[in-house]
Amino acid sequence: MSWISTLDRWQWALFAAVPIGIILLYFLKLRREPVEIPSTYLWSRTVEDLHVNSLFQRIRRNLLLFLQLLAVALAAFALLRPGIRGQTSAQPRSIFLLDASASMMARDTEGRQNRFETARKMIRDRIDAMDDRETAMLITFSDRAEVLQSFTSDRNRLRAALDQAQVTNRPTDIIGALEAADGLANPRRSSTTGDENDVQVADPQPADLLVYSDGGFRDVEGFDVGNLKPVYRKIGSDQARNLAITAFNADRNVEQAGAAKAFGTINNFGASEETCNVSLYVNGQWRDSASVTLGSGEETGLSFSLADQEDAATLEVRLESSTGGSDQPFEDDLLIDNYAYAGLRPLRTVSVLVITTGNKPLRLGLSTDNAAKICVPTFKSPDYLQTPEYAGRAEAGLDDLIIYDRCRPEALPNTNTFFIGALPSDQWSWASEPGQTILVDVDRTHPMMQYLELFSLLIFQGRAVEGPPGTRELVGGDAGTVLALAPRDGYQDLVLGFELITTGEDGSPQTNTNWYAERSWPVFLLNVLRYLAGAADATSAPSFLPGDTIRLRVESQLESVDIARGNGTPETVPTGASGSVEYVDSDVPGAYKVIANGKLVDLFCINLFGGRESDILPRESFDLGYETVETAGTVETRKEYWRWLLLGMLALIAVEWWLYNRRIA
Amino acid sequence: MHYNSRMSATTESLALLSPELLAKLERLELVSRKVFRGRMKGERRSRRKGQSVEFADFRNYVAGDDLRLIDWNLYARLDQLFLKLFQEEEDLHIYPLVDVSESMNFGTPTKLHVAKQLAAALGYVGLCRADRVSVQALGNQGRRAPVLRGRSGLWKMLQYLDSVTSGDNVSLHDAIKDFSLRNSGTGVVILISDLMDKGGYESALRMLVGRRMDVFVMHVLSPEEIDPPLRGDRRLIDAEDGDETEITINAYVLKRYQETLQSFISSVKTFCSRRSIVYLPVRTDQPVDDVMTRYLRQRGVVR
Repeated sequence: MSWISTLDRWQWALFAAVPIGIILLYFLKLRREPVEIPSTYLWSRTVEDLHVNSLFQRIRRNLLLFLQLLAVALAAFALLRPGIRGQTSAQPRSIFLLDASASMMARDTEGRQNRFETARKMIRDRIDAMDDRETAMLITFSDRAEVLQSFTSDRNRLRAALDQAQVTNRPTDIIGALEAADGLANPRRSSTTGDENDVQVADPQPADLLVYSDGGFRDVEGFDVGNLKPVYRKIGSDQARNLAITAFNADRNVEQAGAAKAFGTINNFGASEETCNVSLYVNGQWRDSASVTLGSGEETGLSFSLADQEDAATLEVRLESSTGGSDQPFEDDLLIDNYAYAGLRPLRTVSVLVITTGNKPLRLGLSTDNAAKICVPTFKSPDYLQTPEYAGRAEAGLDDLIIYDRCRPEALPNTNTFFIGALPSDQWSWASEPGQTILVDVDRTHPMMQYLELFSLLIFQGRAVEGPPGTRELVGGDAGTVLALAPRDGYQDLVLGFELITTGEDGSPQTNTNWYAERSWPVFLLNVLRYLAGAADATSAPSFLPGDTIRLRVESQLESVDIARGNGTPETVPTGASGSVEYVDSDVPGAYKVIANGKLVDLFCINLFGGRESDILPRESFDLGYETVETAGTVETRKEYWRWLLLGMLALIAVEWWLYNRRIA
Repeated sequence: MHYNSRMSATTESLALLSPELLAKLERLELVSRKVFRGRMKGERRSRRKGQSVEFADFRNYVAGDDLRLIDWNLYARLDQLFLKLFQEEEDLHIYPLVDVSESMNFGTPTKLHVAKQLAAALGYVGLCRADRVSVQALGNQGRRAPVLRGRSGLWKMLQYLDSVTSGDNVSLHDAIKDFSLRNSGTGVVILISDLMDKGGYESALRMLVGRRMDVFVMHVLSPEEIDPPLRGDRRLIDAEDGDETEITINAYVLKRYQETLQSFISSVKTFCSRRSIVYLPVRTDQPVDDVMTRYLRQRGVVR
């Protein structure tokens, strides 16, 4: 039998005043009704011996007072919370590992409480059951471990630490917690063995390692439990229901401007078949829905097509109830994975270096409104190729695209190139003599050839080109390939077999084709920028896990950016060297916007795309090093009696009231 | 709970003895276990030999005997002088004493009323038998009590009883002492009282016995005393001396009260039987005629 006092000293002092008050009040309130009787002769003889010590006799003979005092005594006992331990622990030390990962938010335990609260209650019961000789520590773990309370026998501190523990949206990694527990329970030798001067700071002591979790983590390999005696307390129901979005991504269709597609994967981790609606919201506006029915353990993929989505957008997919009204969220045991976010980034601004002696059509084509949005061109003369600045630039691949107009570098740069009327390297060769060229075939399947009407082109002097193996013909002429694309070590070289501008014999520029006057010219250049320069690349916003540290790169001249979730209040984050931004406040899933100077510069998303977290059916056992830890059948709790004491107190008060009424009547 | 049954004299006298009861009482006779010397000739046999018609004994003649008593027939036959003795019939002094202390003024009907009824009934029995009857209230009111003889004294007796009121709080001892001083002779004393005297009843009874009275004690108790209808926290006030007793009455206390009452009654009983006093417990809820005609006859007090 152990006691936990629920009152402080001064509160007990106040409480002690209650029975004293009852006795005093009893004498004060005692109104004796005067009755005239013939003689007190017999009565006085009756109470003769009561008069000897009348005060105590009166108390002794008063059942009502006695009952009242008994009720107060019972209340005092109840306040002391008497109880016995259901089961005694083997070890005097305990380490509580409390799983604070996202899956612990599942509300599948008794009373729709979430697992974390249930585990917390179990730990609290366990702490209550501790006696003074036992020590315990408390560690929570999600994707990182946190020692909330190191070894102590002070139960109040343990309880306070337990109150501080909070469930997170993060995935689970138990290793950190195990290492923390291991470090405290199995102290390593501080130096080599056999050194007499090496004083060990702590003796290893055995400890119970109590893991309160649903087992939603990877088995731990290569961990020696040593003195730790692992006990797994399984939290959660085997009948849990959970539909989860395990993947969601949106990307632009590089082959089709403005078109985008969103892909999602939905899993049913529950034990029963579920039906729900999957709705897609773009910038908070409903766009599309689909109905999904999944049996237990099944998975399905969903895709939504988006048109006219040139601009940046945030996408959200929600699981909604198929039966309730529209926008009713789907109710399963774990809600956090019923939402997923993705973003379509704004088009990238690409840097284009143009090496030319002068090419007006090219200059015009790169400065159209649409091109200017995504392209920063730099024009240099071929002399520039000899400068060290160019060498460094080419080596580092600072430009997204280098256009060589009728010239050729000594070595190809580490970036994509577009050669106009020139061959990139010796691997390329001319396949025909210069002559008038008639275009015969255009490969419209290639994104760079989209929307192009080229058959009306006049080309005065062109040659067919032949590239290295893997070269793809984009435009074919009567003499052979006119426009070819070839891969090169991860880069691509685009080679055009005719010049746009030729230099006349007098040195003045002459046109070699009428392409610059065609509508297809700026479109072609835009396609080149999108595809070859990569403006349309990586338009899908990256997704991070909750709790991840998010590193972004923005333009280095920005001093700070504002980062906001959805339409929330932005948080200003200073940019570091070379435009890197680190954002750590990433616990809440959502689509985050990075805004600089009022302009959206980047997007990222935080999603719980962890199958392990969403797979909320609790595991029966897990491997810890070379041991398999099975769930402990019985849960050790303190058996408390205060409820019965309180009931007894109420019964006493009822009896007292009944007696009182019977007496008055 | 304070009863004050003050009624008019007539209604009370009527209530004291009903005509039917009077008729029954006429046939009764008070039995005295002692034979007393009476002052006047009565209807009662005396130990003394006298002049009644009833033969008692013979004895030898001694000089100085009344020659009229010699049985001449025996002298003729035996030639010896014998006296023929006859039973003397004498009157008896009957003293029904009524305790009029305030404690008697309690109950429905009050103990005092019942006591008066009993006194009147017993007195009437005596009057009918030509005994010398003096119904007396204990205390000062007893001093004006008439001494009556003959059936015609009934009216006077009832008048006296009517005039007696409660509230004469003298102790039993003092009252009996006063009575003894005033009445020197012997006789039958019927003490009608609740015996609730804090000074004790023993000395009073002892005094009566010492004066060679034939003592009857009629112990009048009301049902409220035998089984008090009191519960809870009470302050009990003594009607006689205003003494207060604070008490919380519960089943335990009531049980103790019953025990005290029973031990009180049995102590009185023992005290009386040791001294040849007839102890007669009477409940006030018993009808007086029932007491007189049945109960007292059963106990051999009257015949």
